[in-house]
Amino acid sequence: MTDREYDYEELGLVAGLEIHQQLDTATKLFCGSPTTLREPEEAERTITRYLHPTKSELGEVDEAALEESQVEREFEYLAYDTTCLVEEDDEPPAELDAEALDVAMQIADLLDLTVVDEAQVMRKIVIDGSNTSGFQRSVLLGQEGSIETDDGSVGIEDMMLEEESAKRVEETDEGVRYSLDRLGIPLVEIGTSPDVRSPEQAREAAERIGMLLRSTGKVKRGLGTIRQDVNVSIAEGARVEIKGVQALDDIDDIVATEVGRQAELVEVADELRERDAAVDDPVDASEVFEGTDSGVIAGALDDGGCVMAVGLEGFDGLVGREIAPDRRLGTELSDHAKRHGAGGVFHTDELPAYGVTDAEVAELREAVGAGDDDAVALVADSTEVAEAAIEAVAERAATAVEGVPEETRGANDDGTTRYLRPLPGAARLYPETDVPPVEPDPSAVETPELLTEKAERYADEYGLDAGLAEQVAYGRRMPLFEAVVADGTDPTFAATTLESTVTELRRDGVAVERLTDDQFRGVFALVASGDLAKEGVNEVLTVLAEEPELSPEEAVEEAGLAGVDDEAVREAVAEVVERNADQVEQQGMGAFSALMGEAMDALRGKADGEVVSDALREEIGERS
Amino acid sequence: MTPSPGDRVRLTRADVTNEGVLMPSSDETHLVVKLDGGYNVGVDRSDAEVELLERGVRDVGDPGDGDDEADEGSEIDFDDNLPTVALVSTGGTIASTVDYRTGAVTAQFDAEDVLRAVPELAGRANYRGRVVTNILSENMDPEVWRELAETVREEIEAGADGVVVMHGTDTMQFSASALSFVLDTPVPVVFTGSQRSADRPSSDNVMNAVCAVEAAKSDCAEVMVCMHGSPSDDYCALHRGTRVRKNHTSRRDAFETVGAAPLGRVDYGTGEVTVSFADGKEYAERGGTELALAAELDPEVELVKFTPGMDPAALDYLSGKDGVVVEGTGLGHVHTDLIPRLSELVDDGATVVMTSQCIEGRVCDRVYDTGRDLLDAGVVEAGDTLPGTAKVKLMWALANAEEPADAMGRNLAGELTDESAPWT
Repeated sequence: MTDREYDYEELGLVAGLEIHQQLDTATKLFCGSPTTLREPEEAERTITRYLHPTKSELGEVDEAALEESQVEREFEYLAYDTTCLVEEDDEPPAELDAEALDVAMQIADLLDLTVVDEAQVMRKIVIDGSNTSGFQRSVLLGQEGSIETDDGSVGIEDMMLEEESAKRVEETDEGVRYSLDRLGIPLVEIGTSPDVRSPEQAREAAERIGMLLRSTGKVKRGLGTIRQDVNVSIAEGARVEIKGVQALDDIDDIVATEVGRQAELVEVADELRERDAAVDDPVDASEVFEGTDSGVIAGALDDGGCVMAVGLEGFDGLVGREIAPDRRLGTELSDHAKRHGAGGVFHTDELPAYGVTDAEVAELREAVGAGDDDAVALVADSTEVAEAAIEAVAERAATAVEGVPEETRGANDDGTTRYLRPLPGAARLYPETDVPPVEPDPSAVETPELLTEKAERYADEYGLDAGLAEQVAYGRRMPLFEAVVADGTDPTFAATTLESTVTELRRDGVAVERLTDDQFRGVFALVASGDLAKEGVNEVLTVLAEEPELSPEEAVEEAGLAGVDDEAVREAVAEVVERNADQVEQQGMGAFSALMGEAMDALRGKADGEVVSDALREEIGERS
Repeated sequence: MTPSPGDRVRLTRADVTNEGVLMPSSDETHLVVKLDGGYNVGVDRSDAEVELLERGVRDVGDPGDGDDEADEGSEIDFDDNLPTVALVSTGGTIASTVDYRTGAVTAQFDAEDVLRAVPELAGRANYRGRVVTNILSENMDPEVWRELAETVREEIEAGADGVVVMHGTDTMQFSASALSFVLDTPVPVVFTGSQRSADRPSSDNVMNAVCAVEAAKSDCAEVMVCMHGSPSDDYCALHRGTRVRKNHTSRRDAFETVGAAPLGRVDYGTGEVTVSFADGKEYAERGGTELALAAELDPEVELVKFTPGMDPAALDYLSGKDGVVVEGTGLGHVHTDLIPRLSELVDDGATVVMTSQCIEGRVCDRVYDTGRDLLDAGVVEAGDTLPGTAKVKLMWALANAEEPADAMGRNLAGELTDESAPWT
């Protein structure tokens, strides 16, 4: 099925995007803490807390939040020397960060959004522990914008400016451990209208938004700093929200695969209805598997658990039918069983296998009263888990007769998706009374130059070739490039160093990601002042990456490239010429190329090539 | 027709149309509408075209009364095997919600609502609810302390095995001190509140209330303050009402016992909530004293803090006061030039008491000349009594003691220690 071509228009594909992007501001959205990420090992204290659902200003309790809180879970928070009381929920928040508001208004401008007259800070109840307060502060900042794609414009419904949540470190016996470094980093959430009509358009829209975001030069880069959710439905299918698409390149695949999954599920449903399919009540089928060779089943039974089975009338052959690459209706059933703590399901379309024999399958069919046209699914686990899981499986199987269920799914690395949970209800929000409303002034921010415009300008103004210009403009060191060029560094040299040289060093195993902007600026400044030859930059950056505590000057020293003045250059050159006096006599200036190489070697990158060549030319001239 | 809060409206302004429920606005220039997605947004009133779609779709007038469930569930099952704890409410953040008109957090619940707000209290005791007042604690005054004390006495007389007073944190230490002086109690009287408002899932109200109820069931028949002992939800500290001080504006563990370790603690994080008292700590045991109340307080008492550069005129308004507590520097000093004025107040019949703004430690006016001059002027030393506690104590002493000046130098309710032992 994977190679099937779909006519998206005929299927009635409707898709929308939700993009979350962290902003690269100096401080967090509601406090003065830096937006730097930390390692959990650097934590200097921990705090443990519980959360309790509360009523909104309209007296409503969030049902989802309530369900979540049924089990009292303990949340542990790792705090650092960069953490303040606001992040620990032990102090009221400061006012909305002005820098974040400015960046968000720039983004609003690029997305053609209308900025609201008065921005109201809201609390969005989230009690999974990822916010110490039990809510995420969020502001609706822009409304009704649009972007252009090759297949027409895509509306932008709204944009929120909000707090990033705390990073989940790990599950603990009592609950969850979170790290407070990420909590409160400003984040914009951009939601498009459901205007997207093809996988390619989804990807193009996401790329366009990504480019616009990066054009501000004020968004975070790297893994986890941008998250893309995709909403997909086809006419006969249902709205499915796919969370956490990591790479932009995956968006078209994800959409295409989801369309395929929904189309297949629609066909499965049609077939099931034709067969008058129905789902039976689950039964305990443990007796069938007494003395079984199946490790999974025997393990569950030995631990005092049971085997729960459900007869799926008319499902034969359809449970095992592929609906997405390497995923079957059985996989969907399995996802639901997993949500209730089971390891997964077995079903008759894939049996006999996994140590389950032919005879056992026959006996199983008999035990649940299933005929040849029927299928059986089973869960083997502790009684409690198996019972809950088989109910979930039965429910999902019954839904398959109706069609595609609305749900939230998670993106897998291979472009497929897995079931996560039902669609969330409308979020419960109530005002953050600790933060006064803000009247944003969009006229006060400048429209940033787009990356596309930058690339053109770098080519036109600086004479960079088109490829390098684009590489620099779209690269994460673009703001650094602009800064060093402003400092007086030659643009081509800056671009080559920041892109090609850094890439080469990385390939050679140098930890270039440790190099800071200040270190780069320092190195470029040494080149500009003549204290470091361009040829020595590689070595100095290598030293700095290995010993980040060194200053660029110290690194030059360390690399043995320090201080070669013109006098020393002349001496070295004179030595080379002297050594090759015969050649110079015979060839005159013809010996230049050969001796230039030797002279540069002698100076080991300590001197600028041009200075050396001038000196050499002079020296040869004197002798010939 | 002008739409009012609670109506469904459509606001059109430039290119953007917003539909939702009109909410009360905190200023005149904006209309605030709650969109269907839950977000509130403010729209410039003068530029917006307003269309009324439906009247009164939401009740946003008074969140406290607007709650339909508020009057259900007040039947609380009585269990003979459980002790009875009186929940006395005075207002404050432990039972507060958002006030739409001011945008601030205010107290909205009576004591029974606390039970609904804190379902974790169920099964720990039989509860009696009383509301003395519903004010923020900065608005407390001696008259409210008296009413509070009388309510607590009534509850104990009515059979309460312990009393929990829910109180705003700002002046909790003053009210706890007041009850310490006016009341002889045979059962625990436990003050609690919350530093982080009850309208947030992370509020400290649940744990503080649960721990306070457990403390009220304990053997310690004293007036105590029960609040978070650390930034974590792991335990509450039990502080003696006359030695406790709010030492942080916002942290959960703002309350500390000054000059000693707390009386005890209530462990919460372990699943079972357990009360324990510090080794060697003496406390009044349950049933050890007869219930008695001497609720009269003399309100004509002032607490003044001396700081360098103080205008002597600041002491002018003290004329006619019955008592003055001075928060002096160091061992208990004021500018030498102010001493004659203090002497004058003493001569006019006021009891003038010296405490120290050092907070930790006791005053001693025998060491330096200034101190000796103060003693000569008739100023009384309050030892290591906290300045705020000394003010309340002086109010009580002036109304109840034969020799108020003498009483200020004696320990009445754990406010004054005999000796300063290093505790850490």
